[in-house]
Formats: sequence, C-alpha cells, structure tokens
Amino acid sequence: MSLTRPDAAVPAPAVPPTGPPLPVPAATRPARRRRRLPTLGPRLLLVPALVAIAVGLGYPLVRQLVLSFQEYGLAQQFGRPAEWVGLQNYRTLLSDPYVWTVIGRSVAFCAVNAAVTMVLGGALALLLHRVARPARLVLQISLLLAWGTPVLATTTVWQWLFDSRYGVVNWVLAEGLGLEGMRGHSWLIEPLSFYLVATVIVVWMSVPFVTFSLYAALLQVPTETLEAAQLDGAGAVQRLRRVVLPMIRPVLQIVTLLQVIWDLRVFTQVHVLQRAGAPTRDTNLLGTYIWSLGGEFSMAGAMATIMLVLTLALTAVYLRSVLREEEL
Amino acid sequence: MTMLRTPGRRVLAGAGVLALLALTACSGDAAAEGGDGSTGRSTGGSDAAEITLWLNGTDTPQALRDYLTDTFAAENPGSTLVIEEQDWSGLVPRLQTALTSAEQTPDVVEIGNTQAPTFTYAGAFTDLTDLYEEVGGDKLLPGFVEAGSVDGSVYALPYYSGARAVFYRKDHFAAAGVEVPTTLAELGDAAVALQAANPAGVESYSGLWLPGQDWYNGIAWVFTHGGDLAVQDGDTWVGALSEPEAQEGLAEVQRIFAEGTKAPKDADSAEPWVPFNNGEAAMFSAPTWARWSIDLPECNKGVAPDDESEEATALLAEQQACNEEKTGVFPLPGLEPGTPATVFAGGSNIAIPAMSQHQELAKSLLRIMFGEEYQTMLAENGLIPANSDYASAMGDDPYATAAVDAALGAKLTPAAEKWADVEGDRILEDFFQQLASGADPATAAAQADDLITAALG
Repeated sequence: MSLTRPDAAVPAPAVPPTGPPLPVPAATRPARRRRRLPTLGPRLLLVPALVAIAVGLGYPLVRQLVLSFQEYGLAQQFGRPAEWVGLQNYRTLLSDPYVWTVIGRSVAFCAVNAAVTMVLGGALALLLHRVARPARLVLQISLLLAWGTPVLATTTVWQWLFDSRYGVVNWVLAEGLGLEGMRGHSWLIEPLSFYLVATVIVVWMSVPFVTFSLYAALLQVPTETLEAAQLDGAGAVQRLRRVVLPMIRPVLQIVTLLQVIWDLRVFTQVHVLQRAGAPTRDTNLLGTYIWSLGGEFSMAGAMATIMLVLTLALTAVYLRSVLREEEL
Repeated sequence: MTMLRTPGRRVLAGAGVLALLALTACSGDAAAEGGDGSTGRSTGGSDAAEITLWLNGTDTPQALRDYLTDTFAAENPGSTLVIEEQDWSGLVPRLQTALTSAEQTPDVVEIGNTQAPTFTYAGAFTDLTDLYEEVGGDKLLPGFVEAGSVDGSVYALPYYSGARAVFYRKDHFAAAGVEVPTTLAELGDAAVALQAANPAGVESYSGLWLPGQDWYNGIAWVFTHGGDLAVQDGDTWVGALSEPEAQEGLAEVQRIFAEGTKAPKDADSAEPWVPFNNGEAAMFSAPTWARWSIDLPECNKGVAPDDESEEATALLAEQQACNEEKTGVFPLPGLEPGTPATVFAGGSNIAIPAMSQHQELAKSLLRIMFGEEYQTMLAENGLIPANSDYASAMGDDPYATAAVDAALGAKLTPAAEKWADVEGDRILEDFFQQLASGADPATAAAQADDLITAALG
C-alpha cells in the first residue's frame, strides 16, 4: 500500500493512484531490502517467533472462525457432528438489539477509559519529569506497585472499598462528610455508577504503563531543543504543544492504540464487579457477554469475531499511521 | 486478541494439569477400546486397573474417601481407586475438556445437581438405567434422579443433598417478643416485626438477612406457593414466574425485601453469617453446615485458628456449645403449620463418563457408594444420603432434623437441557435484584420469563 504514498521514502513523481505500478519504487525497494537482509540468517531467526505466533494465536483464531460458522455446543464437544450453518450465528447476533447495546456500551466505556487513562498517565509523566529525585522515586515505586498488583487482587480491594455495607467509601461519605444518604449506598446496582467504579479500577491499573512509557519518551526529548525553543520565546504550553508532543508522538500513538485495544476487551474487572452484586444484563460489556455465551461455543466464536473486527476497525487509523512510521 | 482466550486459557491450563494426572492414572489398556461407551458397554470386565474418582470440594470427609479406596481395592483384587479432589469453581469448563477425552476422563465423577442436566443431555455420561433399581430405585432422591435423566433413561444418580434451614438469634426473638414462625406467612411477619423492634439497637438491622441477588433462598417462596421457575410445554420450556402461584410467593418476598431486611440489594447469598455474627440480623437462611460459621462475639474465646492444643480444643468446644445455645434453627415453614416449605435443594449427582475405559470397575465403585455402609456414613457426616432409607442415620439433633425436614420437600431447578445458560446469564440474580429494588413483580417476572424462555429454547 505504501507504493502510491506521496510520503514514501523514495521520492516518487506524483501519479494518479489508479495508474500502473510505479517503476521507480518497484526498482529501488527490493534493492533496499537486499541491503537490509543480506543473508538467510535473519530470516531464519524469525522462524521461532512465527511458529509461536502461528500455534499460539493462529490456531485459536482459525478455530474460532471455523466454530463461528457451525452449530457447536456442549453436545458437539461430546461427539455429535457439528452442523455448518453459514452466517446464521452472525445473523442471530447482529439482529439482536441487545448485542448492539452491548457493542455501544463497550465502545463508550473504551473511549472514556482510554481518554481518562491517557490524560492522567500523560500528566503524571510530565510530573515525573519535573519533580526532584526523591519525589520521583516515591512516585515511581507507587506506580509500580499499582501496576504490579495482580488484577484480581486490585479489583477485590476496590470492590471492598465500594462495598455498600462495610465499605470505606460509604463510611467516609456518611461519617466523615455527613452525607446521610450515602449510608449503605449500593454503588453497583445502577449501571452508570457501576461503570464509574469499573472505570476507577481500570484506569488505576492502566495509568502506570502509560506514565512509564511517556516518561521514557520525554527523556528522549533533547534539552537543547527545548532550550532553543525557550530562547526563541516559546512559553511552557507552547513548548509542550509544539516541541514535546510532536517529538513523542510515535510513543503516544502506540500507547493509545494499546490502551484502546485493552479497554475494549476489558473482562476481569467487569466480571468480578458483576459477581459482587451488579445486575448482569444491564452491565455486560463485550468481554463478559462473550463469557456468558460460554456454553454455545459457536455463538461465542461468532461474537468474538465480531469483536475482533470491531477492534480492528477502531484501531485502523492508528495502525495505519504506526505502520507508516515504521516504514520511514 | 479475543475474549474467548480468558476462559479458554483456564481450560487449557486445566487440561495441562489433567494430562499430567492422566499420565500417572492411565493404565495400559486406556486407548485399547473405542470412545463410544454411551451404552454402558463393558470394557475390561475383570481386568485389573487403576480408576479415578473426582470429588468436588471438601464435602466428602477423609474417612469416607479412605473407606472407598479400601473397600474398592478389597472387592476388586488388583485394581485400585484414586480419588482426586476438584475445586467447585471452574468445574464446568474442566469437565467440558476432560470428559471428552478417553485419556483424561475420570472414571466416576461428581457433578453439581444444577449442572447435571447440561452434561446428561450432551451425552457425557453412560446410561445407568440397568443399575438404577439395584442401587436403590425409587428410594433415591427423586429430584436428583430427574436432573440426571433424559427420555426415561438415568445417566446421573444422586450423590448427596444438603438443605437450607433458617438460623435465628434466640435472644433477639425473646427481646422482640416474636415466636418461632410456623408458616411461611408468619416468617414474613416475624422478619418485619423483628426489624421494627430492632432488639439489638444497631443501625440497619435486618429481621431476615435476604440480599437482593439471593435467589437460592428467595425461590423457596415461589416453590412453596406451588410455582416454578420454568415449565415444560410440549418440547419447549417456558419461564413460569408470571404464573399466579409464583406471583403470590414473589409478593411475599418483596414485602420482606421492603420491610424485613436491610441486606444490600447488590449482594448475593455469600457469607450470611457475617451480619448475623455482628448482631445485625435476627435470622438468615443457609445450608445447615453454616452452623460451623456462627461465631457470636459473646461466645468467642479468642482461640488462635492454628492452636491445636488440648486446652484450645476444649475452649473451642465450649465456644461452639455457647453459639449453638444462643442460636436456634428451624426448617423454612410451609403454608400450613407443621409442613416444611419447598426449598431449593443443593447437592450433587454422580455419574460414569461415557469415555471412561473402565465401565465395569466404575460400576463396581458405584455399588459400593450406594451400599448401606457408605450411605450411612454420608448421613452421619451431615449430608443427606442419596437413598432416603438411610437418612435416619443423620441423628436427631435440631440441625439434622431441620435438614431432613427441609430436604424432604426440596426442589431442584428445571431439568432443562440449557438450564446452565439461565444461570450463566444470571437471569434470576437480576430478577430478584429488581424485586428488591421495588420493581413491579408482574412486569419484572414477564421480562424474566421471556429471557428464561429464550435461554432454554
């Protein structure tokens, strides 16, 4: 796809995209590749990774695709022949308004969580960059601990904090701040406040990764450039917007991409909170909905495929620009 | 990349462990026979082998396990029995993987009674109809037999049942001037009266601890009024919560939700003894083994949990006696005085996987398990045995009496092929939570019925 790109590495004459393959890039690109991969060695080195990916990722993916076109439940698992049903599973799912509700919820949840995580993570990274060494150390250790705690443990602790009867949050609100209405308040029973609690947990666990990645990127920004900008009269905000952000953009993009993928397929936190007493049907996201289809492997497979397509669609813009960066 | 990998990985990890277990458990002839054992075909016969029994959780005490291994070895010279304990959580995905493989399957398997229909319909088990009369016939707990039957053939037999009973604080009842209720309606009145009196003088005091998602307890009101979760209409199952009988029961439940409990709407039946021990509830309903979790502060002797000295043991016995003196227990009462309510039965079924390569040895083990001696041992350990003839061995202390009374009328979830989907979708948790939040029972029930019908269809 890069052959017709005006910004490809090799300067190419502007031609309409419908034109025949360009002679110039076609001639130079293989030459460049040969320079990069002079022998067979590097290719051989790729083989273990490729095999691992094919076995670990390719096989389940193919199996999931095959399943999604069959009628495959527990009985088939025990030997009853699986019937091919074509697109029936997809038709059933996509004609169910509830599925669309779940997709809508998931996209909204993902957008809010990814945005909040990026903003908080970015702000903390800037803070890390500015503060003195002792403060930075404390901050880094705290972030590492929040990040390193297993997700189940974190979720359980937060769930206890928000417990309606014995939770600290309600206690502080009722006893400390005198909000009588919050005594015994059920945080999980209303979908919106359920998602608020879920967002707190998801963001809590995602921020450290974003902070560390962006902090590492910030360290790569040369101080000379910043000083030069300052000498030219750029203020702090201008330096951030015009100098720092463009320089760390590749990292920013890939971290956002990962965040969107992770937040779209969030499962553990939502599942645990549901089990803690939330109305399940009103709070299902894609992950937990697929889980609830568990006994019908074919339906779950179809739904997982829909989710895969959705993920690719949502991240296509980022993926394209990331790929482009790599080509440069 | 897909969410399926989360449950899937657990299955795979389980399979890995199973494969390891199978390496040690498999005997030479494991792969010799074909996989189709669904007709109970004899394999091996007198051939000596090692067979595997899966028991779930710690419900079956060690003495009973020892009895099984010893008796099995004595009755089947040269053969041995290995008992492997499985965890209840994650059991279904583990069985989905293990039972389909001749190399990995156990030879006899315990399964939760509400999970039994799903696997029975899927063809996971050997037909045991021939064995049915021999191991007890119609003496066996009928609801459990039904859960393990398809089209008149029995595939999964009852193992044991545990029933729910109501625990109550005698001092709270006395202080509030409330008598032990003798009918279901009186129980509702008692809960409301106790909560209004608040004899403990604590904030958010519950007459009866009934959290919003606790359908295991709440459904007893539906069952007792003659209602059901779903009924079979020809070939299809339809949700039955809108039926008038069910609605009568649900109205009573909703009254308790409104006036007889302060339990959170966003909690389930887990650990009801915590508020009870805190003096925040006068009653709670739970399986009778909950007696071991009652720990009132005024009785607590402060013994460290790992202290096994003689003194500590004596103190603990004193503490337990004190707890049981202050705590009463009665079976949930029925509509008429003296009759028990129809409660939700918990318990297990036991079956032989169709893939097992040792069908005859497995049957020999089942005969031992259904023998008088083992059934009596189950009863002596507080479990209601599969064969009701031996329930008398449970003794006549109030807990055993309450358990047996409750179990006599207990009812199971519908024996529908896809009942597991209803539980997987958590339709009933959501439904009872709506009731607890004050939803109109008729509207909420109509909605839940549609979801149940769709899930079972």
